[in-house]
Amino acid sequence: MSTRDVGLTESRSSGGTGFAGAGAGAVIEAIRKTVLVDFTPEEAFDLFTARIASWWPVRTHSYGGENVKDLVLEPRVGGRFYEVTAEGEQDWGTVLAWEPPTRLLLDWQIGEASGTEVEVTFSPEGPGSRVVLEHRGFSAVDPRDRYESGWDLVLAPFVGTASKKS
Amino acid sequence: MSTNGIVLDALGDWTRRQIFDALKNGPHSVGELAARVPVSRPAVSQHLRVLKDAGLVVDRKDGARRIYSVDPNGLAGIRAYFDSFWDEALGRFAAAAREERE
Repeated sequence: MSTRDVGLTESRSSGGTGFAGAGAGAVIEAIRKTVLVDFTPEEAFDLFTARIASWWPVRTHSYGGENVKDLVLEPRVGGRFYEVTAEGEQDWGTVLAWEPPTRLLLDWQIGEASGTEVEVTFSPEGPGSRVVLEHRGFSAVDPRDRYESGWDLVLAPFVGTASKKS
Repeated sequence: MSTNGIVLDALGDWTRRQIFDALKNGPHSVGELAARVPVSRPAVSQHLRVLKDAGLVVDRKDGARRIYSVDPNGLAGIRAYFDSFWDEALGRFAAAAREERE
């Protein structure tokens, strides 16, 4: 499956070439991003998960925007990924794999629910770490037909802000 | 960015997402879609128009019926949106790490 190909390319730009084939069943190429940080994998994993609220662009990329008080990623398989506002909690996704400090796999349950998943891997590189994020499963078929465990999209949180920007 | 804003707005509505999800499993007519969601046929048509305007679905004529299906280019638009989103998010992640190191 092409989305599982390994090879550290920087993000391939989308520009309309990101999908192979047409019509229902077309699979769009995964998004792949690499970032190097001056952290050990343990520290990087911790920053990415336990302290996700400290860096996630929550004001522009959440349901609640400025009203979001916290963003929580529960540290276990099956754990919830959710935002907290005065009104309550809003689920974003579920932890499908929890393998500190090397791998995290999430599914989005937000918004459009087309079942994408995000995998983040952490590996030592020089004095720091290489963090690779892959967001995959953009497809015209219901990914629940293709993946054992589905991961839904984080779209709705982006809805309001995306429209505000336009 | 505005294109993606339209895409995301189009999917911001629960009924529209249900319709879009149904289409991801294969092409459907308005009547078939109306049987799957708890809204009237005219309402389904209206939602389809929004999805079509956002570039998420395409339609074709099949005799007297009109058949709707997912437009893969629309999904490419969603992908493009996230491509840019992850640049921003990971940029902030790396900046947070840098700040702690300093």
